[in-house]
Amino acid sequence: MLALLREHPNAPIYRNHSGHRLAPEEVERARQLEDEAVRAEIDWHPNQPPQWVKPFVERCLATSPFYRRYGAMPRAFTQLPTLTREDLARDMPYFVPDEVDVERLINFRTSGTSGHPLLLASHPLVAAQYLGYHKRALRRFGVRLRHGRDQVGVILLGVQSICFTYVSITPTMDDSGLAKINLHPNDWRSPDDRAKYLEAMQPEVIAGDPISFAALLDIDPRIQPAALLSTSMTLMPALCDRLRARYGCPVLDLYSMNEAGPIAVFDSAAGGHVLLQQRMYIEILDDDDQPVATGQRGEVTLTGGFNFCLPLVRYRTGDHAALERRGGDLVLIGLEGRPPVKYRRHDGRWLNNIEITHALRPLPLVQFSVHQDASGHIAVDFVGASVAESEVEHALQMLLGTETSLRVRRVAGFDRKIIQYTSALPGAQA
Amino acid sequence: MKNEGPPLQQLLHRITATPPDFMAEPRIGNKGDVHTVAVVRDLLAAKGHIVDIAQLSVLAGRDVKTDRNRLSIALLMSWLLADAALIVERQHLTDVLTLLNEDAARLAAYTNSRQLFEDPERREELARLTLSKLDLRPAGETVAQAQDRFTSISSLERARLLAASQKAEERARAIREQLAKQAAEESANKWTRE
Repeated sequence: MLALLREHPNAPIYRNHSGHRLAPEEVERARQLEDEAVRAEIDWHPNQPPQWVKPFVERCLATSPFYRRYGAMPRAFTQLPTLTREDLARDMPYFVPDEVDVERLINFRTSGTSGHPLLLASHPLVAAQYLGYHKRALRRFGVRLRHGRDQVGVILLGVQSICFTYVSITPTMDDSGLAKINLHPNDWRSPDDRAKYLEAMQPEVIAGDPISFAALLDIDPRIQPAALLSTSMTLMPALCDRLRARYGCPVLDLYSMNEAGPIAVFDSAAGGHVLLQQRMYIEILDDDDQPVATGQRGEVTLTGGFNFCLPLVRYRTGDHAALERRGGDLVLIGLEGRPPVKYRRHDGRWLNNIEITHALRPLPLVQFSVHQDASGHIAVDFVGASVAESEVEHALQMLLGTETSLRVRRVAGFDRKIIQYTSALPGAQA
Repeated sequence: MKNEGPPLQQLLHRITATPPDFMAEPRIGNKGDVHTVAVVRDLLAAKGHIVDIAQLSVLAGRDVKTDRNRLSIALLMSWLLADAALIVERQHLTDVLTLLNEDAARLAAYTNSRQLFEDPERREELARLTLSKLDLRPAGETVAQAQDRFTSISSLERARLLAASQKAEERARAIREQLAKQAAEESANKWTRE
């Protein structure tokens, strides 16, 4: 499989090496965990920590040096301190529980947009477990993965001038192929090879972000994936629709982060992002670390997770949403990255950034940023080849009024991750 | 330890009977329930000493994550010190403040208020440490016996502290090294990346 992926006449230049690193006896364990992830019930209710939470936290307080500093278990779960990304950036090694074998650690890295780059401890079994949560999400959309030996299970897409690329296999899928490729022309002998290679590999799943999927649409290979998995940044509905129409398969928008893996998948039928992990308790907190009433918006805060090298106790993600139980699902409603920002119209009325998201939703934007300066002028940059500046301007004027000072500009690209909503106006932080 | 204090058993019993208020969350910033500074000030006032609030500022705490444990221990110590049989003479006031500030922080590095409350050995450690600050020994023990027992507990305590901090630092270094070794290879085989 590896030879096929690497040596195909149209193959890209693979620049790096990687592998699953599972010990033989761990493969069966990984399979069991996958199964558990697919079948488990997530049956708790907002603001009611499920039973496993207390023993989980007690174990953290006893075995993880960082949490040991907290002292004894408080009477109420909500009296525990919260964590931020800054804590992880500064003290990461102290989160690793005493019993974890240091020799087996691997790392997950993230640059992020908050000024706190993270290097996180993980383990081959943790990396392997992503697939179980992907399978759970895919089943929701009627997809069961079938590719195995001598087939390509997944191709991960990137579009960057420099990108970590490699080939590997997935042991729990009978060694199906896995490749991470860079669609940037730098990594190919000829730009035409990109479509040819994808057509030859016919991956069952393609994983990427809105930027790489937009590039995929441009390259337009004739492939029939069973599903597309989008992560890293908001997938705007219009781009999602285009991808779905082009490839005739479900396009899953995953809420996923290095600190916790795949947390939720967007499902319009459920009205938001449906939680995926059975051992992840989610609170929605106000600024004082207190849970808000069910259905109200606040900061998404995580406890638990499947990365046993990095147990999370009340980790504030910086993302905002409401949480509701809807039928059999727990659903994050109106999920937005980073704290809310308010924008002031010419008439003094304030709008929340979520209203801007809604206004731009019908347009197939790949990525956009909105900044209001201290004078009240709003500057919007966007990436999206098929969208005219006038369309974005019109959509925003419907919301902001025509008298609000506005400049809309299409740009070739951003850095990989941007802070989408910013403002220099006092009072803009909602 | 030249003076005889109450029987050890009495203090051990007092620790096990700590009321919920002294086991509640110490107030730090706008979080928690019990103001440690107020509790300690009241305690010392009840023992006949008016202490300037500035001398107790360390007991206000600043960060829940790093200060909660030592303040919980200081509250437990305050409850123990409030025993009517423990008289705080003027010349021992500084030692009592050291107990509440510095000894509580040292204990917090390797144990917590729950263990001091539940574990018989830790209870004795706390009782003897508190008596020593008042230059007292348990009733019925000779100076030599009390000194001997306290020394052995103290050396055990020092060993625990050293082991806890050394182990944590060594392990953190090993984790950093291991992750740095892996850095060039990135994380493998995730079906999606964030």
